[in-house]
Amino acid sequence: MGDSAYSFSLTTFSRTGKLLQIEYALNAVANGRTCLGICAVDGVVLATDKKLPSVLVDVKNVHKMEVVTPTSGVCYSGVGPDYRVLVKRARKSSQVYSRTYGQDEPVSQLVKSTAGVMQEYTQRGGVRPFGVSLLIAGLDCSSDAASSHVPALYQVDPSGAYFAWKATAIGKNYVSAKNFLEKRWTSDMELEDAIHTALLTLREGFEGEMTAHNIEVGIVRKGGKFEVLTPSQIQDYLDEAN
Amino acid sequence: MSRDSNYDHHISIFSPQGRLYQMEYCFKAAQSGLTVVAVRGKDSSCVVTQKKVPDRLMEPSSVTHLFNINPKLGCCVTGTMADCKSFVTRARYEAGKWTFDNGYSCPASVLAKRMADLAQVNTQTASMRPLAVVATFLGVDDEAGPVIYKVDCAGHYLPFFATAAGPKEQEAMNFLEKRADALKDMDHNQVVRTAITCLGHVLGSDFRGSEIEVGEVVGKTGQFRTLSEDDIESHLNAIADDADA
Repeated sequence: MGDSAYSFSLTTFSRTGKLLQIEYALNAVANGRTCLGICAVDGVVLATDKKLPSVLVDVKNVHKMEVVTPTSGVCYSGVGPDYRVLVKRARKSSQVYSRTYGQDEPVSQLVKSTAGVMQEYTQRGGVRPFGVSLLIAGLDCSSDAASSHVPALYQVDPSGAYFAWKATAIGKNYVSAKNFLEKRWTSDMELEDAIHTALLTLREGFEGEMTAHNIEVGIVRKGGKFEVLTPSQIQDYLDEAN
Repeated sequence: MSRDSNYDHHISIFSPQGRLYQMEYCFKAAQSGLTVVAVRGKDSSCVVTQKKVPDRLMEPSSVTHLFNINPKLGCCVTGTMADCKSFVTRARYEAGKWTFDNGYSCPASVLAKRMADLAQVNTQTASMRPLAVVATFLGVDDEAGPVIYKVDCAGHYLPFFATAAGPKEQEAMNFLEKRADALKDMDHNQVVRTAITCLGHVLGSDFRGSEIEVGEVVGKTGQFRTLSEDDIESHLNAIADDADA
C-alpha cells in the first residue's frame, strides 16, 4: 500500500468540477447485473440476478449475497472482484466493533465505515474507485428499547455516498425496476409481500427464464438473522407467484 | 497526464464507459497462451493442455504448464510464462502458509479465492500491472469431492464442472456444455479421455503422447500427479478404440 509509486490521486477534478473517475465507475455499475432491495415493516429483502456465463459453472457454490454481521447482509452490482475486497473489509470492521462494544454492529454504522473505505479509494494516491454499488440490508438499533431492531436498507455508491431507501434497484434496468417498485411499495408492507414484490420486479427485466437457480434472495426479519434463501425456498415463493 | 485522453489505456483507471482497458489488454495477453481443458467427474479432476517444445535442443521435461501446489493440489497455468511462474510461486507460498497456520492441507476453494483477491489488487492499484495468467486449480476436497477452480487476471474465480482457457476456450466450453450432464458420473479414466477428446476436437488434430500434458487428482486421498507419456498413450489408444468400435 505505502510503496505505491503513484503518490498522487488518480481521481482528480475536471475543469467543470466533476470527478470523472467516479462517474465512470457508476457506468461500470450500471452495466452490472440487477440487484434490488425492499424494506418492509418487519424485515428487509435483497434479490439479485445470478446469471452465470455457462452451465458448466458449479452454481450452488457461487454466491453474490454475503452475510456481514449476523443481522446484516450485502449484495452488489458491478465488478465482482472489487466487491470481495469490500466484503472482507466490512466483515473485519464489524468484528472489531463487536469486540469493542460487545454487540453486533448496527447496519447504519457498518454502512458508514464501508462508505468511508469507498471514499478513501477516490482520494488516495495510486488507486481507482471501486466499480460497485452495494445494497446493505440489516437491523438498526432504535432509541426505543422496546422495539429494539428496526429494518433498514442502504445503498452505497462508488463515491462513498450512501442513502437509506424504502426500496431501490441498482445495475442494469435499474430505472424501470425503480419505477416498478415505486408503484408497489407501501408503508405497511410486510416481509412476505416484499419478497413477492422483489421477485416480480426482478422478473420484469430478466433476460430469459428466471428460475430458483439463477437468482439469489436474502432476507433478514426483525429479531432474526440475515439468511440467504436456498433454491427450494425460492422455488416455493416462485410457485406461489404463479 | 490524467488529462491525456489515452491515459485510461495505460493504467488501471475507468474509461468513460466504465471499462478497464488494462484488464481487457491483459486478457488478450493471457488468452494468447496454450489451450487448457479441465474436467471433473465422480471422484477425480483432471486437466489437459498442449505440450509444445519450441526447439529440438530444448530439454522437454522443462517445458511444462502443470505445477503442483501442494501434494493434493495441482494447477495448470496459461498466458505469459514468466507471469505464470510468478503466479505459481506465490500460490505455493500462500497454500503452504495456510496449511501451516491452520494445520491441514489448503483446500482448492480457499487458494483460488486468495489468488483471485491478489489478482484484484493489481486491477485497482496503478503501480502494478495485472499478471497475464489464467490459472486452473484442481483437487479433490475432503468434503466437496472433486473440484476445479478457474482464476483469471481480473480476479474473477468460479468453481466449474468442466472448463477451458486459452485461445480455443469458447469452442472447448461449447463441446463440454453438451456433455455437462454426463460428467458427474464419469470415472477417472473417462474424465481424462473426455478432456483429451475435447482438446483434440477444438484443435482439429490428433495427438501423440508427447504432444500433450495431463494432470489429475483421483480420490480423496489421491495426490496430484502428471501422467507419463505411456499413460497418455494408453488413454489415446483407448479413445481410438472407442472411436473405431
